[in-house]
Amino acid sequence: MANASGLVAPTLPSFRRRFSPSLGVYRSGFWFCHGVSRRTVCSSAAQRAEKLSPAESKARRLVSKGCKLVGCGSALPSIQISNDNLSEIVDTNDEWISVRTGIRNRRILSRKESLTAMATEAAQKALQMAKVEPNDVDLVLLCTSTPEDLFGSAPQIQKALGCSHNPLAYDITAACSGFLLGLVSAACYIRGGGFNNVLVIGADALSRYVDWTDRGSCILFGDAAGAVLLQVWLSCDSEEDGLFAFDMHSDGEGQRHLKAGMKENNTDQELATNGSLLGLLPKGSSSYSCIEMNGKEVFRFAVRVVPHSIELALEKAGLGVSSIDWLILHQANQRIIDAVATRLEVPQERVISNLANYGNTSAASIPLALDEAVRSGKVQAGDTIATAGFGAGLTWGSAIVRWG
Amino acid sequence: MANASGLVAPTVPSLKRRFSPPLGIYRSAFWFYDGVSRRALCFSAAQAAEKLSPAQPQSRRLVSKGCKLVGCGSAIPSIQISNDNLSEIVDTSDEWISVRTGIKNRSILSRQDSLTALATEAAQKALQMAEVEPNDVDLVLLCTSTPEDLFGSAPQIQKALGCGNNPLAYDITAACSGFLLGLVSAACYIRGGGFNNVLVIGADALSRYVDWKDRGSCILFGDAAGAVLLQSCDSEEDGLFAFDMHSDGEGQRHLKASMKEDKTDSELGTNGSLLGLLPKGSSSYSCIEMNGKEVFRFAVRVVPHSIELALEKAGLAVSDIDWLVLHQANQRIIDAVATRLEVPQERVISNLANYGNTSAASIPLALDEAVRSGKVRAGDTIATAGFGAGLTWGSAIVRWG
Repeated sequence: MANASGLVAPTLPSFRRRFSPSLGVYRSGFWFCHGVSRRTVCSSAAQRAEKLSPAESKARRLVSKGCKLVGCGSALPSIQISNDNLSEIVDTNDEWISVRTGIRNRRILSRKESLTAMATEAAQKALQMAKVEPNDVDLVLLCTSTPEDLFGSAPQIQKALGCSHNPLAYDITAACSGFLLGLVSAACYIRGGGFNNVLVIGADALSRYVDWTDRGSCILFGDAAGAVLLQVWLSCDSEEDGLFAFDMHSDGEGQRHLKAGMKENNTDQELATNGSLLGLLPKGSSSYSCIEMNGKEVFRFAVRVVPHSIELALEKAGLGVSSIDWLILHQANQRIIDAVATRLEVPQERVISNLANYGNTSAASIPLALDEAVRSGKVQAGDTIATAGFGAGLTWGSAIVRWG
Repeated sequence: MANASGLVAPTVPSLKRRFSPPLGIYRSAFWFYDGVSRRALCFSAAQAAEKLSPAQPQSRRLVSKGCKLVGCGSAIPSIQISNDNLSEIVDTSDEWISVRTGIKNRSILSRQDSLTALATEAAQKALQMAEVEPNDVDLVLLCTSTPEDLFGSAPQIQKALGCGNNPLAYDITAACSGFLLGLVSAACYIRGGGFNNVLVIGADALSRYVDWKDRGSCILFGDAAGAVLLQSCDSEEDGLFAFDMHSDGEGQRHLKASMKEDKTDSELGTNGSLLGLLPKGSSSYSCIEMNGKEVFRFAVRVVPHSIELALEKAGLAVSDIDWLVLHQANQRIIDAVATRLEVPQERVISNLANYGNTSAASIPLALDEAVRSGKVRAGDTIATAGFGAGLTWGSAIVRWG
């Protein structure tokens, strides 16, 4: 599968401190402290992670830690569909699509390609950049609404990566906000759960739920995968923490504007007419409809909530808009990106946008945009990024983070 | 829809401290406080949580909190199917099912019922027990593999509950381990993210993915919803003592419901190769496929070990466990785990005889029945474990109330 960008990754500061996951303390549960006074717990946390006797463990304390974004990667499927290609199968044209959405091309998985493999490739690149071995990963979060198994696809990625020690791997289902939620979740797992190296992967194959005869929606979406590795930071200095602040919300009232609801299951299998029980039982497995979207309402929603959310996050972080080095929004529509940037007064040269090439890749869009920006040299270590996801739920969230 | 138990809820100590969420600080991001020295960080955290003006960013600190399980609820759908009912549609018998699995009845959603409504009912009961208003909920975690929308069902529950302030609501997709993961996630959100009242709901409608002609699997599953409310508290009162969670993707082949090749009979114009590449209609998942023997072996192998690890991290012993509340998959798994851990039978919670395997709902459903019947009381220590598709498993040592 093609890489998001052919450029060589710039050198990122690598972390000298490796966390090999000995059973227990490092990968889950708490940091244990000796019976030191509570007041010195933070400074001694790094040295104190040893197993306690049951008596000593009564003195255990919850310790706060920070996190840093230390690696990213992305991967794209091989089939490219241009606006001209689409104009051959639905009533549309390149100019209309470009002007209305900013999209010129998108990629989709072929029938032989798998979302899991694409997500794994993105994750591998993030690990390589971070110089972290699969064996040191203690949590794999797959943010997706389109897994290849009803029960989720994260464990398959864990297997494909070759992570030993059986790190937990599960899916977060939150549509286009998924990656943002995964990022914040990873930070919370690191700070509040003792995890050390958390892979956050955004990957979606919306092409499998698009009605390719509907010109209103088939022009918008593409498939992709992106990943970020978050790593614990033990300095106990909160200013080192790479997640400065966040703001996340949902509004179930708006679900009707963007959904892929469950269909009445249909199958042509014949069951014996054994009475009323069979009449009550589902026949065959349930399935979901294609994506239905009221574009106008979703647009209005996005331009209304996203600037406000970013402002809230900035306020919590104690930062001003001028502190933002890069604005990386979920890549849904160029007009949304422009409207949000304008409202926040973020200059155009600080706005990352790559949806012209990939369309709306749902949970993959933020890490895909970030990865391209990092590998092209735009985003550098120490840069402050304002990022926001928004979409089905309706759900939205923003975060102020530092890269590297 | 029927309640899980008709008994009146025993009084659970309610927390007097209410957190009404002003915008921002309490529901997400950090606790701010005055410029106290780093060494006093943990000690003064609870007292010092005041909001800073944006002009004082240097004083912000990360502060640890604890969490408590303060409310629970459950809900069961209306259609009950007995083993005898099943023996009429597949080649099986009440005796065979009872002996092999411990299940006698299960409930499933009718076509008119919704999983979202069932989950909402469970959540409402948990909030009532906890004496927490929907408006004070700042996070709704729906643990399910069977949402009613591809994009997840949690926001619909948030809407149905009437939560003001637009709390975040999203789905955790982790099969039968889902609730355990949700519980630990909630604790991490409270400790590491500033959240205060987190609803963790386990709800599944596996009946919609069961092959009702397959006697090996159709006897096992039922639909249900359960919920727990976790609330922030001082770290000394923290009720999640330790946990241990893992996955093993190698074992996925033993328990799965994979994506099918899409099929539809809609006709698209033969416009050349592009159409040939595009999916036709939406993708869908197969019915559940399970190698019962391998899953049984997996469960009895990893679950006792996981609980032992969690106990060790918690600095506790098996004798400290008041109740063992496992994912209710099969009575023989429950018995084997209890035996291996040497937990006496009277301390093992089991209700799968009535409900079958309800996936992510099974732990909170069992807990809710045990609480409302008076078995589990405030202060009791519970060892709980989820295990299932992934393969994924996890255990936690918690205190109720």
